Amino acid sequence: MKIEINDLNVVYRNGNHAVKNINLLIEEGMFGLLGPNGAGKSTLMKVLVALMKPSSGDVLINGESIRKNRKKLRSYLGYLPQDFRFFTRFRTWEFLDYAGSLAGIRNRKERINMVDELLDRVGLLEVRDRKANKLSGGMKRRLGIAQALIGNPRIIVVDEPTTGLDPDERIRFRNILSDLSQNDVTIILSTHIVGDISSTCQKMALLNRGEMIFSGSPSELTGAAEGHVFNLSLTQEQYDEIKDRLHIISSMPSEMGWDAQVVADESPGFDGKIIEPNLEHAYVYYMEHKTKGLSLKI
Amino acid sequence: MISVHNIRTVARYEAKTLRRSWLFRLFSLGALFILTLMNIGMFSPVGNEAWQTLAIPSTLPQINLYMINIAQSLIVIFLASDFLKRDKKLDTNEVLYTRPMSNLEYITGKTLGILRLFLGVNLLVLLICLIINIISPQASIDIAAYFEYILLISIPTLIFSLGLAYILMTLIKNQAVTFLLLLGLAALNMFYLFNRLNSFFDYMLFGFPVFKSTISGFSEPGIIVSQRIMYTSLGLLFISLTILMFKRLPQSVSHRLISITSVIVFAVISAFSAFYFLNDYFSDEKLKHEVIETNRLYQGSNFLETTSADIEIEYMNKEIKAIANLSCRNNTGKEVEQILFSLNSGLKISNIDIEGTGTYNTDGHIITINPSSPLAPDSSINISFKYNGSIEEAFCYPWYTDDIKENSLSIGPVRVDRKHVIQRDEYLLLTPETHWYPVSGLNYYPDNPARIDVDFTNYSLKVKRNNKLVAVSQGERSSDEDYWYFMNNSPLTGLSLAQGKYSSDTITVDSIDFIAHYYEGHDYFRDDLKELNDTIGHLISGIITELETNFNAEYPFGSLSLVEVPVHFNSVEKKNTQTRAEVQPSMIFVPEKLATMNDAGFYRTIKRQKKRMERSNQVITDKEIQVRAFNNFVRNTFITSSEFRFNRGGDRTQVRGRYLLGPSFYFYKNNFYSEKYPVINAVFETHLQKTETPQSGFQRMFLGGMTENDKANTILREHSMKDILAMNPSNDTTSIILSLKGDYLFNLMRAEAGIEEFNGWFYSYLEQNQFSNIDINKFSRDLKERFGFDLFAHIDNWYEGVGQPGFLFTDISVNEVVVGNRTRYRVNFTASNPESTPGIFNASFRTGGRGPGGGRGGNVSITMNASGRGSLRMGMTGSNMQADDPEKIIMLDAEQAKRISIILDAEPRAMIINTLFSKNNPGELQFPLMDAMEGKTDENTENEEVLDKLPLMHESNETIVDNEDPGFRIYQELSSGRLKQWLNIGSEQGSDYREMFVWWAPEYWQKTIRSNYYGEYVKSAVYTRAGKGERHVSWTASIDQPGYYDVYTYIGKRGGRMTADRGGGRNAMKDLHFTVEHDDGEEDVIVDWENADNGWNHLGSYYLSPDSARVILTNSSEGRTVNGDAIKWVKQNMYN
Repeated sequence: MKIEINDLNVVYRNGNHAVKNINLLIEEGMFGLLGPNGAGKSTLMKVLVALMKPSSGDVLINGESIRKNRKKLRSYLGYLPQDFRFFTRFRTWEFLDYAGSLAGIRNRKERINMVDELLDRVGLLEVRDRKANKLSGGMKRRLGIAQALIGNPRIIVVDEPTTGLDPDERIRFRNILSDLSQNDVTIILSTHIVGDISSTCQKMALLNRGEMIFSGSPSELTGAAEGHVFNLSLTQEQYDEIKDRLHIISSMPSEMGWDAQVVADESPGFDGKIIEPNLEHAYVYYMEHKTKGLSLKI
Repeated sequence: MISVHNIRTVARYEAKTLRRSWLFRLFSLGALFILTLMNIGMFSPVGNEAWQTLAIPSTLPQINLYMINIAQSLIVIFLASDFLKRDKKLDTNEVLYTRPMSNLEYITGKTLGILRLFLGVNLLVLLICLIINIISPQASIDIAAYFEYILLISIPTLIFSLGLAYILMTLIKNQAVTFLLLLGLAALNMFYLFNRLNSFFDYMLFGFPVFKSTISGFSEPGIIVSQRIMYTSLGLLFISLTILMFKRLPQSVSHRLISITSVIVFAVISAFSAFYFLNDYFSDEKLKHEVIETNRLYQGSNFLETTSADIEIEYMNKEIKAIANLSCRNNTGKEVEQILFSLNSGLKISNIDIEGTGTYNTDGHIITINPSSPLAPDSSINISFKYNGSIEEAFCYPWYTDDIKENSLSIGPVRVDRKHVIQRDEYLLLTPETHWYPVSGLNYYPDNPARIDVDFTNYSLKVKRNNKLVAVSQGERSSDEDYWYFMNNSPLTGLSLAQGKYSSDTITVDSIDFIAHYYEGHDYFRDDLKELNDTIGHLISGIITELETNFNAEYPFGSLSLVEVPVHFNSVEKKNTQTRAEVQPSMIFVPEKLATMNDAGFYRTIKRQKKRMERSNQVITDKEIQVRAFNNFVRNTFITSSEFRFNRGGDRTQVRGRYLLGPSFYFYKNNFYSEKYPVINAVFETHLQKTETPQSGFQRMFLGGMTENDKANTILREHSMKDILAMNPSNDTTSIILSLKGDYLFNLMRAEAGIEEFNGWFYSYLEQNQFSNIDINKFSRDLKERFGFDLFAHIDNWYEGVGQPGFLFTDISVNEVVVGNRTRYRVNFTASNPESTPGIFNASFRTGGRGPGGGRGGNVSITMNASGRGSLRMGMTGSNMQADDPEKIIMLDAEQAKRISIILDAEPRAMIINTLFSKNNPGELQFPLMDAMEGKTDENTENEEVLDKLPLMHESNETIVDNEDPGFRIYQELSSGRLKQWLNIGSEQGSDYREMFVWWAPEYWQKTIRSNYYGEYVKSAVYTRAGKGERHVSWTASIDQPGYYDVYTYIGKRGGRMTADRGGGRNAMKDLHFTVEHDDGEEDVIVDWENADNGWNHLGSYYLSPDSARVILTNSSEGRTVNGDAIKWVKQNMYN
């Protein structure tokens, strides 16, 4: 499925311009939408899943506007919202059954089979009859993705799916998404956790304050930060001196004082050694420049 | 296309969600539990099995759904608004909102899910009801009603409540505010709106009557359906609006169009239904107004007497086609140029043939015939009317509003709407009130509502056969292939017609045919009273004989038919007669399966009687029990039935039974008329009915307070009877005034003619003149000729005079008179009338027996009505409860006093004085005579000696302040809280005299009257709930001379065994705390009520200077109530 976002703007009634002139092309595979809290990711997600009407611009799914063809879009769609709790009175399987039935699986037997298959796939078959609100946080997320998957959607939108999960659950969740991306579906993953993108997405976009400030592959974003990430060994005094001046990505106490990684346009001194940037470094470097209004060449 | 699959999915899971909510579980389990208990308690053999609720099978499902509907209409508010709140709050819903379903499908699914659950509970309740219905031996089953009531009661209420909750939640977006609004609306409906505009606002059917008759079905299907469609449509309109306003992007233009179309369609349907409903209501009101105004134009006209009427009628498709050939006589005493008739407004004249030619024109329901030449006095004319149409019910009783707010009838908790005419495809009921044939007279005289015109007419009726329907009317019935024929041997005051699937049984007793016309399967009493097969004739004979003895008259007709009619049929009480449309000449319309009569539940009565007998090891045969059940039913229904309605503030109104046979013995055979005194017939009838069926004994005997006569006297204090009737007072007021004035007039005639002599002559006079109209002038002449008494010397003043006599009684004593070996008793007393209006009173006595309450024995049977609503049904037999059977009637001129002596054969215990029309309140005074015995005398004659002057009521050295005097003052401290004050609870100050309720004494000083209290004309006191002294009263007197005074308080104790004072048990009244103010300060005096004397009780002697003296009574007491009456100061050593 090809999703084209053209000149998309969302302005709330209170005047907040949540999404500004977004133009984006999303194709099959896993697409990451990265940005800090309040960047407009969730708003963009809601527009994509037809929960919100854009103020201007349009979204075309395989060339068809979601303004006019919501029914069709919704039939392609699986969605896991950011704040996903459950109808407390449903059992695990019932929730999937409800979603499956609404997704158009009319045959009850077929639906039940699919429910069990999905529960098995996300590791919840053993708790199929447990009340949904009795599941752990990770289980709930897995149930969330299971409901998004039911009915074999062509587009899956997941909004901040790994927030609050422990590392094991996060890895497990990422793996599920990665597996899915192999099945000719478009997965849009919105997150503010860089690791989610780096480990799963072939393409990504970076949003900040409603604007899309980057679109491309994670490696392209990483490339932009090459030569700008430094490893420093600092005394306490040095550390105190640079911490307000430079963007410290990580810092660890050492025998000398501190070992710190910083992003900077130029070497900050202190015998700083250039290191290979990862996506997190690139994200910080990128956001630092955009915040300061500096140009950045990729 | 709308996806049914999506709707079903949403509905299924919404239902699942709600089913698992605690609120719904509590509601459903609670409802099932309570209603199961109710069903067992009300309808099953182990419960109450009240006949009222079992007789008509539709009552069972209706009561069940009525009860659950009230609860669910409240619960659904919570659940409906909760689901929108859930949707708003949880992002979880977004995973559903992103699914390919439209808002229409989603909201519809939600709605159906909720409906499914509630209807499921409804069905379970009905299933329980059906099981009980099946096992109840008395109840039959109306399966259709189970479905009809679900459609009428539950579904519209649920849809409307849901829709309203949705839309309010959508608009207000605040669940708490929405709750408050919806609960407020529900409360408003239940406490105020439910009966406004004929229940137009009653969305939950709290008061709107939807009762279903076994005979005629729903009374007004069109109106009922329109009201329910209106609320269903409104609910659907709100749901459609919610769909349009739902905060989710729509996905289907066509579904949105469907929703918009739905909004428009449901709005139109709601508006049309509302218009249909209100138009019916207002057009009825309009027609009533038109009838009254038209009558006002013609009320002064002369109406002929209809001597014979031959009517032919066909009823088909709710329409009447009829020909009425009337013979009318000019009995007006003058030439008549225009002959007037009244015909129901819904019937249209197609042709009129006038003997000797003439023209006619109509003005509303009035037909004016203009004969070619004036009709001479005493000559007759034949007129033939041809007309057709449907009866307009609103025409009947035009003064009476059909609004159910004012007039409701209930069976158990559910309401039954009153119908005065029933026109259904399979059933017809017409009574004379409908004017279904031309009537020479008006159905209401606006300027004189008590006026009544009665014609005794020879009727014959010919009814065209209609399928399987059987015609029932008065007279001997015969039939051929085409018609039913009815011929009457006696003239009737009106003709009725019922047509339905009737079966008939006849039993002839003492030459009278007793005919039962009933619907197949409604003769349940055959099984219940099967032992009476060979005895029923004797039982009926006994009852008729009893009635004939009571009324001193023979039953005037050759037959008496009991006709079963739909339970909706319910007449209106009239101002001008005690007859009700239920009782017609020779015919009584009883409700289907005698449903409104608890005494008709023979099965339960007999079963309980048997159990009682078994418990007390008494042996009684089935036949004896059945005889008792039958006799009780007949007596309580047709002879002595009356019912009390409790109104706000504890007042009671006595309502006469609807099926009393009494009118057959007077109203349907005699008529006194007078142009000058148009109420004369009503007065005669009221008095005669009252004489035979005592009314107020219960009230006087048990509770004190004002009787109907007392109320009437109060009303007549400032106005004449003529003036009051011209003011068009309420039915109750008219009735009590007619009754009082009737008592007075008849006592006047009896006083002049002699009691026994007058009674004998009068009843014979009625027999001689039966079925004819008697001019009051002729009656007066005959009375004068027989007794020399000129009625016309009194009747003007009786009708138009203002002013009342007032009677005082002093010096009561009793002497033994020994004549040979026989002891008699001479009661002496002085009666005075200080007023400028002459008057009469009568005296009767309680003699023998033990204690002062002993009497000649009577029989009081009281049955509590299971239907509740403050209704106490009471049947009374015997005559010792009333003073209408006087020993002596005494006349006193203005400002006259008499010393009166009356000889009695038995020792008197109490003298009862009935002052009839007077200033006395209470008008009936009881004087215990146990302590009045003063030795023996030789005087063995009765005497009435006129005294030279009026006796003094108290000595010159006495100063008395009664609670009616200006020196009496109430100090009211409201102990009620602010909320009570806002709600006006407990803050009312009793201005009227009310009965004394010891258990529910008011938190203010309430005036009450009773014969044993102190007072000249008004024997009253005040009482209040005992407390800690927060309320007090004072008596203040002006003292002219200094000196020592004895101070007394009056304590009026009643010697009877059954008194209100004692109704509160031993602690009703105990210590009374008085404070006597005197020159040396104050003295607290406690009077022990139980040990106090009946009369004046000494509070001590005190020195008082000239000025004011005061005594205070507080409500501080350990008893339940405190009572204050009068204080007396007596100066000591007045001659020193």
